[in-house]
Amino acid sequence: PQNLKCVTHNLRKMVCTWEISSKRRHGQTEFCYNTNDLPPLCFKTKEKRVEIPVPESFTTVKITTYSISGAALATRHFEIHKKDISFVPLAPHILSLTPDLSTSTLTLKWSDNGSTFPYGLDASWEIEILRKEPMENVTHESYNSKLTHEDIVHSWNWKSDMPLECTSHYVRIRQYVNVTQFDGHKVWSDWSPLEVVPGKDTEPHGSGLFPQDTVVAVGSNVTFCCVHEEGRQVQRMSYGAKDYPLIRLSSRSSAIRVLNASASDASGTNIVCRMSENGMDGTVLFVGYGPDIPQDLSCETSNFVIIKCTWKPGRASGLYGVRGTKYSLFESVSGKNVSCEVNEMKKERVCGFPVLADQKTYNFVLGVSNPIGQTKALLLVDLNQRVNPETPEKLTVYGNSSTSVHLRWFINGSFAEIRLLCQIEISSGHSEQKLHNVSMPGGKFSTYTAQLNTLHPYTKYQFRVRCSAADHFWRWSDWSGTEKHTTLEA
Amino acid sequence: DSHIQYERVGADVTMKCGSMDWDAAVTWMANGTDIDDSHLNGSYLILKNVDLTQSGQYFCYEGSSWHLKYQTILRVGVPPKEPVLMCRSNNYPKGFYCSWHLPSPTYIPNTFNISVIHGTREMVCEKDVFPKNRCHIRYLQLFSTVKYKVTLTVTNALGKNSTSLTFDEFAIVKPDPPESVVAKPVPNNPRRLEVSWQNPSSWPDPESFPLKFFLRYRPLILDQWQHVELSDGTSHTITDAYAGKEYIIQVAAKDNDIGTWSDWSVAVHATPWTEEPKHLTTEVQITETTSTSTSSFMPPPTTKICDKGAG
Amino acid sequence: MAAADTPSASLRHHDLCSRGIRLARKMRSDVTDLLDIYVEQQGLDASISVAAVEGVPAAAAERWAEQTGTQRLLDNLAAYRAFRVLLAQMLEEQREQLGDANGELGPALAAVLLQVSAFAYHLEELLELESRRTPAEEGSEPPAPPRLSLFEQKLRGLGVLRELAQWAVRSVRDLRQLAKHGPGSSAALGLADSQ
Repeated sequence: PQNLKCVTHNLRKMVCTWEISSKRRHGQTEFCYNTNDLPPLCFKTKEKRVEIPVPESFTTVKITTYSISGAALATRHFEIHKKDISFVPLAPHILSLTPDLSTSTLTLKWSDNGSTFPYGLDASWEIEILRKEPMENVTHESYNSKLTHEDIVHSWNWKSDMPLECTSHYVRIRQYVNVTQFDGHKVWSDWSPLEVVPGKDTEPHGSGLFPQDTVVAVGSNVTFCCVHEEGRQVQRMSYGAKDYPLIRLSSRSSAIRVLNASASDASGTNIVCRMSENGMDGTVLFVGYGPDIPQDLSCETSNFVIIKCTWKPGRASGLYGVRGTKYSLFESVSGKNVSCEVNEMKKERVCGFPVLADQKTYNFVLGVSNPIGQTKALLLVDLNQRVNPETPEKLTVYGNSSTSVHLRWFINGSFAEIRLLCQIEISSGHSEQKLHNVSMPGGKFSTYTAQLNTLHPYTKYQFRVRCSAADHFWRWSDWSGTEKHTTLEA
Repeated sequence: DSHIQYERVGADVTMKCGSMDWDAAVTWMANGTDIDDSHLNGSYLILKNVDLTQSGQYFCYEGSSWHLKYQTILRVGVPPKEPVLMCRSNNYPKGFYCSWHLPSPTYIPNTFNISVIHGTREMVCEKDVFPKNRCHIRYLQLFSTVKYKVTLTVTNALGKNSTSLTFDEFAIVKPDPPESVVAKPVPNNPRRLEVSWQNPSSWPDPESFPLKFFLRYRPLILDQWQHVELSDGTSHTITDAYAGKEYIIQVAAKDNDIGTWSDWSVAVHATPWTEEPKHLTTEVQITETTSTSTSSFMPPPTTKICDKGAG
Repeated sequence: MAAADTPSASLRHHDLCSRGIRLARKMRSDVTDLLDIYVEQQGLDASISVAAVEGVPAAAAERWAEQTGTQRLLDNLAAYRAFRVLLAQMLEEQREQLGDANGELGPALAAVLLQVSAFAYHLEELLELESRRTPAEEGSEPPAPPRLSLFEQKLRGLGVLRELAQWAVRSVRDLRQLAKHGPGSSAALGLADSQ
């Protein structure tokens, strides 16, 4: 017997193997060992391997080979020290490999068999991903964890640089346990068996161009693949108007790689795969920007019925229709949410939110999202401080006096809870324009009146009026229409 | 029986004298003329970088007995280049024809094979007896959006080439030029010319598939054509001709709705009517002539007769 | 029912045919312009070939010359009713996909849809003049468009417009055949020895 080697997978038991050099046919072998000064233990075996406990320090071994007839042929003594023992963890077992086609992400789950090892060991994992025919290594990723003397299921995600439909993705994993107090030889485990997520190019009639109708940010790198039926060839693949070099993935799948994609038109950029026998397939890519944080968000009411919020959208996203940027106005005090109708081609953005009974303060969150990203802007509003009344209507001027007149006008809106400040502009012929301010309690969709005295007799006057909130001025309304009136003769 | 041996221009050709050994004494003749020994390697005939002139009949005789041991016809040529293919419908909606030629001669016989595919259907192309490089296809379907694909393959002993055309039914519709174009002066109208013509006889049903026409005319003394488009009818009166000037006139035709214009018709010449010279006082004429010849020339605007209504 | 072949019916028939031909030729010209806009807006290659599109009436006709006048009108009417549905679907798809960014395409598509509707109505008038009852439209709810990828949707739209352009040419020819013969003549109207 010679070349005795011992390997442990779990630091407790070790498997010892040996070789027999003689050519002669031999029968059984007797294996005796003793550890830690305990009496030797012996047993017979036909194998050239035995499993025995890992010694604290060393183990002495005696191996005797016998002939078929039972005569002792040869005996050999060995001393196995800790440092002579190799520690090779068992190959990890993959529990599951799950694809998420929408995000081209693989999720790998495996058990770390922690219960096999003492508490607190550092474990390193290497995960290898392979692709293509013939198989090529795509990436080699590392992952570290702590063994907790329990079997922990680990989960690890990997986003592929190409749609998972393009071709089969293979994954395997191996483990290294850093047992500092074990002074034997420590090595990586074997690789686990390959787990595969089959591509469309393995399905009998699998075909198509992937990814299908996706949205990416400007500057992205995108891989498109054309999966076709057996016997067909891809002749060329174009992105927009330009042909790209083909990358062969398998006999039924070819790809192109587009780098630093620029913004697409509203209808997206077409990717067309032309195949033999007039075969053709296509997909569309939309390349745009995530939404900018809305600038200059401002909300006001002109009638205490609707709050009108406006903002500047910032850079155009380049995405339209169903992929366009969506705005919603959420008010956290009431919990009410309103989605806003927006015309992407127009610069200004407007959204209406109903004035709520008995609520003066509004805590707005303007939510903005499109397929590439989302953002928001916040605004706290005391509505009474954001009143910009509607334009006064139906202004009438009357009076049968030479020095005074009465003015009456209507304002659409419900201002019952505030005082209004209205400004009357008085102009007449050559003399300078005068402004007369008058404040009054607000009303609900009501008419307002004012009297002007100290006018000149028999004089042609022009009047117009505008209003604002008396307390907490925010903005004047627009001027009303102009009304003419001539005072009576003195 | 001598066989034909085809070789490319510039090739090196080696001919063995039938079953004769290499070192046998032989005599080679080409087109009745002895070939001198410089071309021989033993009994083999070696022709380097052959050219067209070396085509011909080659004989090899056994030295002493003058028995004919080998004969061949050497044809030196080139493989065919990509053929030029053209398809056109001048008798819509009956069908269309395709014609082809080689951009350069091959000096050896070529065979042409044409296939016409419409969608998934292969159509028959009936070859003309003359000219040989033309064949006709009948439209089995009209108003089809499916394209026609015509593939022409030319083969000779030295190679093969092909070309193909893909087109829509209506894209190749191009009538023949109008026929029997006649231009006549209009008596007592020094500025008018009456032009008439006929639909090309190859156009099968002008009533159901009316043609529209394009007339161009100019006085011989000028280079600038004047044009007028006519949406129906086969005659037109030119009303702005220069008195006394000889005019050249041509007409082209096009289907009212599809396809392209025909080539221009044969040109006809005509001069507007001019008054007979009177016998009395000639001076009056002279002063009158002198005054008109000095007037400056202004090209009349292009006249466009609108579509006088369909049908 | 007035006899189909009275002088006034013939005059009306010829007038309807002539106006129909002008409408069809205008429609063809607008569809050709729309095709250019569509190809450009959808980023398609103008020479791209499109296989026969399911649910789109093919303009291609075999033994076209042998068709009767009534058959021509019925085929035309069925086709333009189908195109009315198809174009409406396309308009909806454009609104969904492009929103407010459909540029010239939306208005051009709407304009052609109007012309197709007008032409269908025109054909109904001609059929009535032929003393034929106009076939009722199939069911109120048009068939839902098939679920397609965006690229397939683009190609389908191209196929619809190309087929419509061909139908417009065919309609001009059909109406010319009808114009040659008075109303009510369901005899084969066509080329003596063609096809």
